[in-house]
Amino acid sequence: MTGQQWHRIASALDIAKGKTLCVEVNGREILLCHIADGVFAVDNLCTHAAARLCEGKLKGHRILCPLHGAAFDVRNGSALTRPASVPLATYPVRVDEDGISLLLTVSGDD
Amino acid sequence: MSITGSKSQPPGAARLGAARASGPSVADTLASDDFPPPPPLLESRYVFLGDEDIAFERYTSPEFFQRELRELWPRAWQWACREEHLPEVGDTYVYDIGPYSVIVVRSAADTIQAFLNSCTHRGTRLLAGEGSGYSPAFTCPFHGWSWEISGSIRNVPGRWDFPHVDHATHDLQSVRCERWGGFVFINIDPNAKPLAQYLDVLPEHFQHFPLERRRIRLHVQKTLPCNWKAAQEAFMEAYHNFETHDSPNGGNTQYDIFGKYVSRFIHNIGNYSPESLDDYPGEKWRKPPMTDAEMVAFLAVYGLDPGSVPQGRTARAHIAQALRRYFGETLGMDFSTVSDCLMLDSIEYHLFPNMFFFPGINIPMAYRFRPNGMDVDSSIFDVLILEPVPDGAEHPVPPEPVKLVVEQSYTEVEGIGWLGPVYDQDTGNLALQQQGFKTSRKQGLTLGNYQESRIRRVHLTLDEFMSGAAAME
Repeated sequence: MTGQQWHRIASALDIAKGKTLCVEVNGREILLCHIADGVFAVDNLCTHAAARLCEGKLKGHRILCPLHGAAFDVRNGSALTRPASVPLATYPVRVDEDGISLLLTVSGDD
Repeated sequence: MSITGSKSQPPGAARLGAARASGPSVADTLASDDFPPPPPLLESRYVFLGDEDIAFERYTSPEFFQRELRELWPRAWQWACREEHLPEVGDTYVYDIGPYSVIVVRSAADTIQAFLNSCTHRGTRLLAGEGSGYSPAFTCPFHGWSWEISGSIRNVPGRWDFPHVDHATHDLQSVRCERWGGFVFINIDPNAKPLAQYLDVLPEHFQHFPLERRRIRLHVQKTLPCNWKAAQEAFMEAYHNFETHDSPNGGNTQYDIFGKYVSRFIHNIGNYSPESLDDYPGEKWRKPPMTDAEMVAFLAVYGLDPGSVPQGRTARAHIAQALRRYFGETLGMDFSTVSDCLMLDSIEYHLFPNMFFFPGINIPMAYRFRPNGMDVDSSIFDVLILEPVPDGAEHPVPPEPVKLVVEQSYTEVEGIGWLGPVYDQDTGNLALQQQGFKTSRKQGLTLGNYQESRIRRVHLTLDEFMSGAAAME
């Protein structure tokens, strides 16, 4: 059985605007990106060659891969430049006074 | 009214290019301002450069365009980005010009370098995107060759097969890179003269208005449906103000030619002379002339109450004073002794081949015009709104460019304010002009001897590049 569940990421309270934080949830690395429009969550691994995006840089709404310089739009995960062409997975984010929560799909085993 | 097109000077005639619009000149206006400008703005330097038509094929011919791609763009200094695009080591900026692509990178805290955006193995472009990026090292997406950001080759997978590869032959291909006024310039020609030799009066003049103490408030990048030269030439004179902008105050604009690479106009705002329009169609703004109240209504574009001009004061002085207060408050700076000219006027320096710098406060832009890829009929126009930064304050992270396609309006850009409709008017003529070039039986465009002299200056210098003469000096 699979379903969706909100996961609270308490440590994410203090991501400065323009910065990122890599968190691990259920064995999966997720990158939280704080941009002018709010906090967005995408997979931390580049869809091209699996480099860790947390070692790249957030510029505006673009996360830049450190390996080949591919850019993704963190608001919707879309691949903006080659060599990436497959979008990043994105996750709904909820921000409240307790911190940041992510909506993740979980399997019945979790 | 008679129209005489004589190219030779009749005996007793005034020197060609010496005629000016009636009414007070810019120099007259500046001399009567409450707050006088710094010395460079009092200089006036014009030379007559000829009155031959400029051939339309320079704007339309694929062959001429190809020659520009060969002779001009790989040999001319041009700004790629601002220093604040590269605040940290590893920050990059990719600048594309025609078929060429250059990576600019901050390779150390105090070092900015530039390289051709091409793998030294089989030539693949290394960074696909244009604009700002980040690379702690460069890695080719084809076979994985990699380089340090200093350009030094770092790793060749299957090194055993490449005994003929080393630093001397396979480091990234460097591109000349120099800085001025907070801008990072590149020149693809390894033998180019230093940037300083192209800047002419700019370093001396801009000591008075340091562009390095500016920040990008807004960056708009629009595709325009015309050759890059037609696009920039729409911004090199204020002669079009009457017809294009429905504005009375272009006729008295001052035009200066400082050398082969640098020219300027100073266009007063907050005043005009009805006499300068004495042969313009209709009687608009002459009978009756504009009132002070109509003149100061300009302040409404900043949401300011124009108020009324006190007795004994000019509308121009009234507007300048209101702007000193307004910009002082909004930018947190002291403009209380800044000249009326800098507060108000459109002061536009052009640097060959395609760059403009405005030192003013009310009109604080930088422009760049370039071909759109390999298309002779299309260009890219970058506008930076460069706001002054208070002393001691750091440059904030620059905004990403807002990109507009041909069909979009500048008024769609958030924060562009009153300039939106103005840019729409300026760029609205360009598709028509590019079409008109092609249908004309007449072979070229005709330029005013004074008001359009800066356009001619660019074409003369362009010819030097095309013939190789510029490089021979």
